[in-house]
Amino acid sequence: MSNSKNKECYFCANNMEVDYKDVRTLKKFVNFFMKVLPGSRTGVCAWHQRKLSKAVKRARVMSLLSATHK
Amino acid sequence: MSKTKKDPMGHYEVLFIVANKYTEQEAKKVVSNVKDIIESAEGKVTFEEFWGKKRLAYKIKNNEYGYYGLYEFDLERKNLPALNKSLRLNADVLRHQIVSVTPKTDEEIKKNEEIKAKIDSRKEEEVRKEEEKEDKLKKESKLNKEEKEEDKENKENNEEKEDKKEDKENNEEKEDKKEDKKEDKKEGKENLKDLDEKLEGILNADDLI
Repeated sequence: MSNSKNKECYFCANNMEVDYKDVRTLKKFVNFFMKVLPGSRTGVCAWHQRKLSKAVKRARVMSLLSATHK
Repeated sequence: MSKTKKDPMGHYEVLFIVANKYTEQEAKKVVSNVKDIIESAEGKVTFEEFWGKKRLAYKIKNNEYGYYGLYEFDLERKNLPALNKSLRLNADVLRHQIVSVTPKTDEEIKKNEEIKAKIDSRKEEEVRKEEEKEDKLKKESKLNKEEKEEDKENKENNEEKEDKKEDKENNEEKEDKKEDKKEDKKEGKENLKDLDEKLEGILNADDLI
């Protein structure tokens, strides 16, 4: 997802909501160290980027995503 | 809708982890116990799901695996802290998280069902195609075997005759080839001679200089 040339936000384009249980899509917006990528790298619109960072944090609480790379 | 905070009713979703020390059937019982806890807090369960055993991203109380359960329910806002506390005090539940969500409308539920049905139908089609391919392959292999057997029988009958014929043809072909080669050589020599004559003619011509 690290393409800054993306014209449209991933979630707007696919008409989907950000869900903290959907780990597969969340992993696209996280780097090797499991840090949330900035909006300039992900190409996600600001409204969805806010939801995204929250979703990643919720997934970390429920042990769906790890907080570190190990 | 539950978006306005004046509305006493809220729509929530709880995801929780059950420890790995239970078997799957026991874990299901624990999950149903959580449903009772929600109902005892005057909540109405609208959606339930059991994810099964999953590997945790990190260890929780020395558990590497856990069973995930999911409930969606309507609850009065003032009852939420009590429910949260009772879940926190429950020893069987390793961890839980209550999140407020917007309730799904009937249209969305219908859409999701349609999408699921489409995915299922596609999977079925793929399975069918694979089966058909396998059947075809089996039939082809059978046909090939039969053909090979027939060929063998025919060959055995015809081999002796064909061998003699082939020998004759080969000899004739070899002779033809030899003649061709000789002719080629001759033609090449003639061509060389012509070229030489032309060259000499050009060289001897005085007009060039």
